[in-house]
Amino acid sequence: MRDLHLSLNQTQRVRLEAALHELQSLAPAAASAAAVTVADTIPVNQEDNILKGHGTSDQDGEVVATLCGVVERVNKLVYVRTLRARYKPEVGDIIVGRIIEIAPKRWRLEINFSQDAVLMLSSMNLPDGIQRRRTAVDELNMRSIFEENDVICAEVRGFQHDGSLHLQARSEKYGKLERGQLLTVPPYLVKRRKQHFHNLAQYDVDLILGCNGFIWVGQHVVVGEKTKTTEDQQKSSADAENFTPLETRKHICRLANAVRVLSALGFTLTVELIIETAEASVTSNVEVNNMLGAEFYVQTAEREAKRRADLLRKKNGGR
Amino acid sequence: MVGLSEGEKHFIRGGIAQGIRTDGRRRLQFRALSVETGVIPQANGSARVRLGATEIIASVKAELGKPNILHPDKGKVSIFVDCSPTAEPTFEGRGSEELSTELSVALQRCLLGGKSGAGAAIDLSSLIIVEGKVCWDLYIDGLVVSSDGNLLDALAAAIKVALSNTGIPKVNVSLSAASDEEPEVDVSNEEFLQFDTSSVPVIVTLTKVGQHYIVDATSEEESQMSSAVSVSVNRNGQVCGLTKRGGAGLDPSVIFDMISVAKHVSQQFIAHLDSKISAAEAAAE
Repeated sequence: MRDLHLSLNQTQRVRLEAALHELQSLAPAAASAAAVTVADTIPVNQEDNILKGHGTSDQDGEVVATLCGVVERVNKLVYVRTLRARYKPEVGDIIVGRIIEIAPKRWRLEINFSQDAVLMLSSMNLPDGIQRRRTAVDELNMRSIFEENDVICAEVRGFQHDGSLHLQARSEKYGKLERGQLLTVPPYLVKRRKQHFHNLAQYDVDLILGCNGFIWVGQHVVVGEKTKTTEDQQKSSADAENFTPLETRKHICRLANAVRVLSALGFTLTVELIIETAEASVTSNVEVNNMLGAEFYVQTAEREAKRRADLLRKKNGGR
Repeated sequence: MVGLSEGEKHFIRGGIAQGIRTDGRRRLQFRALSVETGVIPQANGSARVRLGATEIIASVKAELGKPNILHPDKGKVSIFVDCSPTAEPTFEGRGSEELSTELSVALQRCLLGGKSGAGAAIDLSSLIIVEGKVCWDLYIDGLVVSSDGNLLDALAAAIKVALSNTGIPKVNVSLSAASDEEPEVDVSNEEFLQFDTSSVPVIVTLTKVGQHYIVDATSEEESQMSSAVSVSVNRNGQVCGLTKRGGAGLDPSVIFDMISVAKHVSQQFIAHLDSKISAAEAAAE
């Protein structure tokens, strides 16, 4: 709860503590046993000579954690996965990143990894959609595709043998993101799922949950019209009044604030939970600008505690 | 410095034009304010103020000193601001010097009045112990721990809170016979005098983006500003200081408009801050 600096009154504090306590008690015992802090002993079976991985150390014949996190075991390997660490990419992850540099034939992106990611000109579809060799002219026109500071989404292609991370954007759905806002949350809050692009048609909003903890909330863009909107934008910057419709903007801000509240409380971000939180703010008549107030945090924590309790009850009942 | 793509810039400008900003706030709405007092035990008074993601620590240290010969009936107050490199990597080394100086000068203008100390928010004559001989020197330090825009308003608020938390030790002067000798002073460890901070102003910065102006801009919004006017207003609604940043010119009528808006907003902000201070004091006890 490091990010939580709320000015709660007495009743709110009691309610929040009760909700957080309930959440703690609902967590399965195995999960709380796997959480370690620095200098905690990690229980291992000494006979099946284990391999000590990242974040572990040998101390008087015992395996001791040198980091705070969750103990992971893969066959013989025992390591500690830290929670508040940088993003660790896996091949196929969908990520959102920001261009920081244009280099020969490639863009460099900031994706909250320990190094910058690389997107090669050759590993993305050209705007005209024709498959062909990239010419020198294309290389000179790279800035017309992505500029510095642009926010784009792409997919992790893999690591090169020199250790650098390569991305690809070989589909219509990848590319530049405009008309919206970028939020950053700790990467462990975004779990890998089948679907990371969400078109919330009821709100006319696109929600992209990047595996690297970058979350995009923006106005819905029809796939294939991306290039057209860029032209529109250039035109509109002249008259400058072609803004996002007010109704859509309210939805964007509501969803963005739902993400902010959930990530500050440390709840895993799923599209269902984000929508549910945004809907709850509508039904309980919380204005968009009051969503970051203490009362809504407490309500959200209580709702999540109730939801998990119901889930557990259902599971136990089914057994 | 924040880098924003054209799409994001457009989105921020559009939000301000439509009256709903990226975090859902209205144009004249502050972010959530949280106040803590007594965060530095060694100081005479200290406070931590958070305004959204902007975090400021302010401390007040009182030392015995000699008053200025020109103003024998007044104590001395100095304000320093430091920007920590934890707030932004560019603040490392001497990177923050320019910003720190700008902020301290602006605060000095707003809080300390003229050279003679006339019109100061802090009653300088209350700092005097023996006229012409001994007075209190107040050192007010502001530290920017984390920066997300609107530093000046947050600093002024933090200083106001720190001053209200300040206790100046009571001093007993043993009257020595000869008037030209140094008087002996006995600083009490138990008795403290509270400051009257009711006249300390708050600063409200109105940042102009496009056709409209907003209060409490985040650093992303500040990157889109054309100019910003900081107005310091005290409890009685009187303007104590005015500074303008940013290159773009402003029409005088806009500035008048801004001042009246700032006056209105500041009264709400002072009331809000006061309630936060009393809540923080109650929590500390």
